[in-house]
Amino acid sequence: MGLRFSGAWLPALIAIVGFLALPFGRPGRPFLTIDPNLYGWAIGHPLLWLVLASALAALVISLLKLPTSPRGDLLVVAGAVGLGAGVLWLLLTATPFGMGALVAATGMALVLGHALSESGRVQGDAFIATSILIVSLFVLLFIIYPLFMVLRSAFVIEGAFDLSQFRRTIGHPLFFFLENPRSAIDEVGLTLRWGVVVGLLSAGWALFRRQRLPVVLARLVLGGVLGLILGAMFYGRGALPTSLLTVAIVAPACTLLGLAFALLGQRSRFRPVRRSLDVISVLPIITPPFILAFAMIFLLGRRGIITHGVFDISSNWIYGIPGVALAQILAFTPIAYLLLRGSISSLNPALEEAAQTLGAGPWTTLKTITWPLVRPGLAAAFLLSMIESLADFGNPMILGGDRNFLATEVYLSLTGRYNAHEAASYGVVLLALVLLAFFVQRWWLGGGSFVTVTGKPSGGALAPIPRAIEVLLSAVLVVWTLFVASLYVSIVVGSFAQLWGVNYSLTTRHYRDFMTAGWPVFLYTARVAAISAVPAMLLGFLVAYLVSRHRFWGRRFVEFGSLLSFATPGTVMGVAYIFAFNTGPWLLTASATIIILALVFRNMPVAIRAAVAGLAQIDPSLEEASTMLRARSFTTLRRVLFPLLVNTLVTGLIFAFVSAMTAVSQVIFLVSPGNQLATVLLLGWVEQGQLGRAAAMGTILIVSMLLTILVVLALAQRISARVVRVES
Amino acid sequence: MDNASTVIRGITPATVDLRGLVKRFGKDVLAVDDVDLFIERGELLTLLGPSGCGKTTILRLIAGLERPTEGQILIDDDDVSRLPAYLRDITMVFQSYALFPHMNVFENVAYGVRVAGRPQEEIRERVAEALAMVGLEEYAQRSTSALSGGQQQRVALARALVIRPRVLLFDEPLSNLDAKLRKRVREDIRELQQRLGITSVYVTHDQEEALAISDRVVVMNQGVIEQIGSPHELYTRPATRFVADFIGSANFLPGRYDGRVVDVLGYQRPHEQDLPSGPVTVMVRPEAIEFARPGEEGFEATYLSSAYLGPVTEFIFDVTGVEVFATISGSGMSRAERGDSVRLRFKDVGVSLLPPD
Ligand SMILES: Nc1ncnc2c1ncn2[C@@H]1O[C@H](COP(=O)(O)OP(=O)(O)OP(=O)(O)O)[C@@H](O)[C@H]1O
Ligand SMILES: [Mg+2]
Repeated sequence: MGLRFSGAWLPALIAIVGFLALPFGRPGRPFLTIDPNLYGWAIGHPLLWLVLASALAALVISLLKLPTSPRGDLLVVAGAVGLGAGVLWLLLTATPFGMGALVAATGMALVLGHALSESGRVQGDAFIATSILIVSLFVLLFIIYPLFMVLRSAFVIEGAFDLSQFRRTIGHPLFFFLENPRSAIDEVGLTLRWGVVVGLLSAGWALFRRQRLPVVLARLVLGGVLGLILGAMFYGRGALPTSLLTVAIVAPACTLLGLAFALLGQRSRFRPVRRSLDVISVLPIITPPFILAFAMIFLLGRRGIITHGVFDISSNWIYGIPGVALAQILAFTPIAYLLLRGSISSLNPALEEAAQTLGAGPWTTLKTITWPLVRPGLAAAFLLSMIESLADFGNPMILGGDRNFLATEVYLSLTGRYNAHEAASYGVVLLALVLLAFFVQRWWLGGGSFVTVTGKPSGGALAPIPRAIEVLLSAVLVVWTLFVASLYVSIVVGSFAQLWGVNYSLTTRHYRDFMTAGWPVFLYTARVAAISAVPAMLLGFLVAYLVSRHRFWGRRFVEFGSLLSFATPGTVMGVAYIFAFNTGPWLLTASATIIILALVFRNMPVAIRAAVAGLAQIDPSLEEASTMLRARSFTTLRRVLFPLLVNTLVTGLIFAFVSAMTAVSQVIFLVSPGNQLATVLLLGWVEQGQLGRAAAMGTILIVSMLLTILVVLALAQRISARVVRVES
Repeated sequence: MDNASTVIRGITPATVDLRGLVKRFGKDVLAVDDVDLFIERGELLTLLGPSGCGKTTILRLIAGLERPTEGQILIDDDDVSRLPAYLRDITMVFQSYALFPHMNVFENVAYGVRVAGRPQEEIRERVAEALAMVGLEEYAQRSTSALSGGQQQRVALARALVIRPRVLLFDEPLSNLDAKLRKRVREDIRELQQRLGITSVYVTHDQEEALAISDRVVVMNQGVIEQIGSPHELYTRPATRFVADFIGSANFLPGRYDGRVVDVLGYQRPHEQDLPSGPVTVMVRPEAIEFARPGEEGFEATYLSSAYLGPVTEFIFDVTGVEVFATISGSGMSRAERGDSVRLRFKDVGVSLLPPD
């Protein structure tokens, strides 16, 4: 029993060859050049000799005839020393890594993976141990490190901790100012009044509820503070109050609408209503996040069909908070709906039936049973809408008008004012707000791992909602659907109209423009998205598998990392990648590589969720049975889990592809003239007022995404049908 | 499974030695608490105990699906405590069978040989051999979902045997079968295990199943071993009140023992057991009580109630203020009235002493 040789011999050999044959660093040179001065042995730094020495030691130890576990322990030391020494050298000298460093580091990481498994320090075989190690390193390098660089850039100036830049940013009127000398009203006075009024109201309510005096006083203070914040949001100017006020409008609206739709979707008496909700839930996936804002210009702008055409008003009212809020409500309600659908459908119908047999009418049942059970779902939907609204970039760019938002300021301060420290400071504020919302949600909902919680619908017939409410909700849904449908239609129409609002005669001019200016970009984007989707899906699946099926040291860290990459606003991740990978030891020269990596780690959480949901359906003893039949875990993945999860994996793959196609905020920093992306170009066209061409591109994007989803889903169904046929 | 001529070649059973085994889950759950256990070559050893006592955990520790917090696991004197599961030459039959739903019977059984990279010819041969052993030759091309529970169970067994494990682990393999079938399948398993001489560890919480199938039984409670012994030893000489109660039922009566004679309910009885003199708890199986014939020694009891169960009748008597249960064959006192006085005696087997409570 046991292994004669350690499996680490091969990666150790690879590390040695990589070290000897390829240059270790590449200051100022493209990745693939070979410069004899940059070989690890030519540089001759002690740390680099240590890398070589530990690789050699690892090779020798692997081939020694020793008991498996102690040999593994020795190899753990060799692998860790080799990997650590190489990374330390890169960090200390800030030399961009070269091919040799990449190969040697990969080799040593594999040595360490084998060693961790063979020594028994990680439960699982070499594949599992290596995967855990690599996933953790990825989380560290591509999620934690870039965010750390944002913090550093905000607070460290020329190597010293320095708050002045951060203070300058948040003291600047672009960030926040209350008293506007040019306005007729007295903002500070009004804000104070809000504080007093809300404070008194909340204390009054406490008195009315016959609370004790200390409680009443506490309510007075809390209410006062809340009133001041509300007042400052309302009267203040600058990115902070603007973003917060938008959130205060968007989050409740999305939650309520999402709840209404979820109730309808699960319990409406009419099939068509339920069907149309399925469509609504797909829309945000296939649409770039800002496309509705763009369509709103067609309907509600200065020359909008509704505003100008029907009511004959020509106003700019949609530019600013109202327009952005409306666009965000349209864009994020489906997300709230999806969350709440899970929570409504996981309600156990038996509970409601029980309540009804105990004499509760539909109203009472809704109030005493349903409401308390959906409350956590509501909290989740509320906070997710908050996060989305705060992080949203495209809608404020298009409809922000003269108001500035936190997410757009990150971009504008870097690309407009060329101030990296300021961009980082905005990034820190935005990140802090989003993470605050995120952790408040987790604290509120208690425990529950982000990765492993899934809502599985339980069967059974649900009680219909009271008829009066159903009619009301259906009316809301109809208005919503009509509005959204006319937005989509207006994009299609706009792509064929000569000049929107002036000349509606049909033309294919915009499509011809698109073909010359946009088509190559579109193809390039599709290629980049496809390239990023595969690793995003595989990595997401791997993370889901490791986290839900294995217990290991650092599991929390991996979970936390994927949560961070999910919660971090795209613009913040965008600047973070600039800071992390445009200079320094991890320099990635080709910006396509950075774009792809950004998309991979951005979309990984989507794939994780899909895979976790799929894995939850599979009895873990199937994998254990495979292990017991002496299959390595990679074999188990390939022969047992993959065939059973084809559907899930394909779905995860399309979602990763489509969200890479439609992503904008995290890649807008990373594009360069040779690496332009479709959504970024589209945004640029809208901003320049080239609406016809933008509409043509928008139409093509939406139609092609829709086709992709339909075709691939049909294929996946065929494949899984075949698997099932084999089964029966 | 009556094809007695088919025996899987190449199985070399191993011994398993657990030393000071401890398994914690998190900080609070102590699932296995300092267990020492030696499993002989070729024996069938059963882990028996109430739900949550740590049986499955021990099995998974031996299998390598869990890592011990402390202690060692030796297989044929090799310390495998830190060895990954796939290097251990052990296999397991799962409670849920864990048959792969996307493979037919043949592919399920072939799996272990296939992933070992054996040639096609050998795979076919070994699968045929294993299926013959469990009497399912005809079913090779069936989907696993088109089999009855008992057949699925046998596929799982064939799938485990095909890789010629040195130790075979069973986790409540019969709990998904109905009572009648359970009895047949357990006899089949026992017969096959003895024929192959394969070292087996069998987990159950059904005491009857444990007694019927095992060479030795380990009774566990809350992560510790209460007693190890043959089924007969456990039943007749339980070491603790827990064991006596868990295996069969028993009366526990206060008594005194002086090394030769036990004094219980005012009734002196010669008894030999390795226990210090002094107060003891006397365990009396209900079927060890019978009516004393006239002239025989015995003790007075008051009849309280009875329930007629066909082959036996269950009685409750009062003996000097202590309630005593007895199951007595025949329908002796069918017309007895509450309060009637009777004379009872103990049989030779079924009385054993425990340390006092
Ligand atoms: N993965 C785990 N994480 C935390 N606690 C666990 C885990 N597995 C088992 N336990 C706990 O360890 C104890 C022993 O569990 P085990 O499954 O070994 O019991 P068992 O004797 O097999 O019970 P049963 O007859 O119900 O199968 C239980 O208290 C159980 O809750
Ligand atoms: Mg169990």
